[in-house]
Amino acid sequence: MNSILVMIHEVWLETLMAGFMSSEHLSKQKLFDFSNIFFRHFTWVENALIKANYEYDYNRSTIPIKVESLQVIIGDIKRRLNAIELSLVNCDDDALAGRIQSDINYISFALSNIADEKVNSFDMGRVLGESQLSDEATDALTMFLFEESYKEYELIMIYNYLKAHSKEQNLIRIFQILIDESFYHLKQFGQMMSDMGILGVPRIISKELYQVESVVQFLENGINEELNAKEECRKLSGAVANENAALSKFFDFINNQENYHIELMKEALQEYKKEINE
Amino acid sequence: MDSMLIEHMMNPRNYGVLQNSSSEGIGKNPHNGEKVIIFLNIKDNVIEDISFQAIGCMTTVLAGSLITSEAKGSSLDRAEDLVGATLGMLDRIPPEEAACSEMVALALQASIDTYKERQKDKDFPMITYKIAQTCTPQNDGVIDE
Repeated sequence: MNSILVMIHEVWLETLMAGFMSSEHLSKQKLFDFSNIFFRHFTWVENALIKANYEYDYNRSTIPIKVESLQVIIGDIKRRLNAIELSLVNCDDDALAGRIQSDINYISFALSNIADEKVNSFDMGRVLGESQLSDEATDALTMFLFEESYKEYELIMIYNYLKAHSKEQNLIRIFQILIDESFYHLKQFGQMMSDMGILGVPRIISKELYQVESVVQFLENGINEELNAKEECRKLSGAVANENAALSKFFDFINNQENYHIELMKEALQEYKKEINE
Repeated sequence: MDSMLIEHMMNPRNYGVLQNSSSEGIGKNPHNGEKVIIFLNIKDNVIEDISFQAIGCMTTVLAGSLITSEAKGSSLDRAEDLVGATLGMLDRIPPEEAACSEMVALALQASIDTYKERQKDKDFPMITYKIAQTCTPQNDGVIDE
């Protein structure tokens, strides 16, 4: 079953990337929705693995996505879905396999109806919107997007792992909010990367990052990292303020969102400290 | 920013775990917990395959992508020359970038040294080297250089 988890992990990310590549509103929306469904499949399979007491991890292969037309990546997604469908015979949970298979049947059909588009997500033009940033601001934005898109993916995976292994309802609630927030950030940053022609799949997460030895330590470090992220957003907002006011406001918005994340992490920290003291 | 560097950031080369590797080695920053692990598959003293994984920033991933690309297919002697050349140029680049490159170079050296030790003792544990301001490899209590 672990191989099914890996395959779903890969198709989830590839479909998300395809969503960034599409410029047609309806196609993009479909690809993002399907990507969300694959992420839910991922959590279902993970839950089945936990219930069955299987060892599993979030390792996967690198995912090549550099294409010139949308049909090429959609063809690859369909190929992956076929492979998952064949592997479902190894799924111990028949009801779960049936649900996933039913979704795959429809999604494969719907993907076939998405029109082709030329993809510009890899041209390295590094221009965002209509206003040209200075070389220095463009380089700073480029580094920020690579760092933070990975960081958001990493946070999704860590929070998802912690959520999957939590029994406390309040912690599950907190982790779900943090997952949703990180998804929002990942989608914003990924779209900017695609628009700038520098789209890349976040790299594979190391096991020791999500199989954390001390959740308290992870949350304490995480709060500091959020404070650093706030500072990066503040600097970036200042660097682009004169050339692109909308982008500057966006980074102020992300900066302020981190305050909420910090509060949620502090709340989770209290829950874990309470558990330790009980 | 150089387009070749952007290409490596979009698509880091040799990233991930190498299954059934001949050896592994870690380069570690003791100050912030960042680290790089390098996996090697070696045949007849030639690096047939190489991969790395990093807990660190994008600059570390970039350094890993560049250095492992250079080391792939080379002899162990040439790979050690590459480590030496990387460590030798650290004082000419900004400190944060120097730390990242040093971490990757030391991970490669650690993996080569692990391989050499495993020729004598196949169960020899993976070696870890810590980065230092002086750029001098230090061991992690596992082996003396």
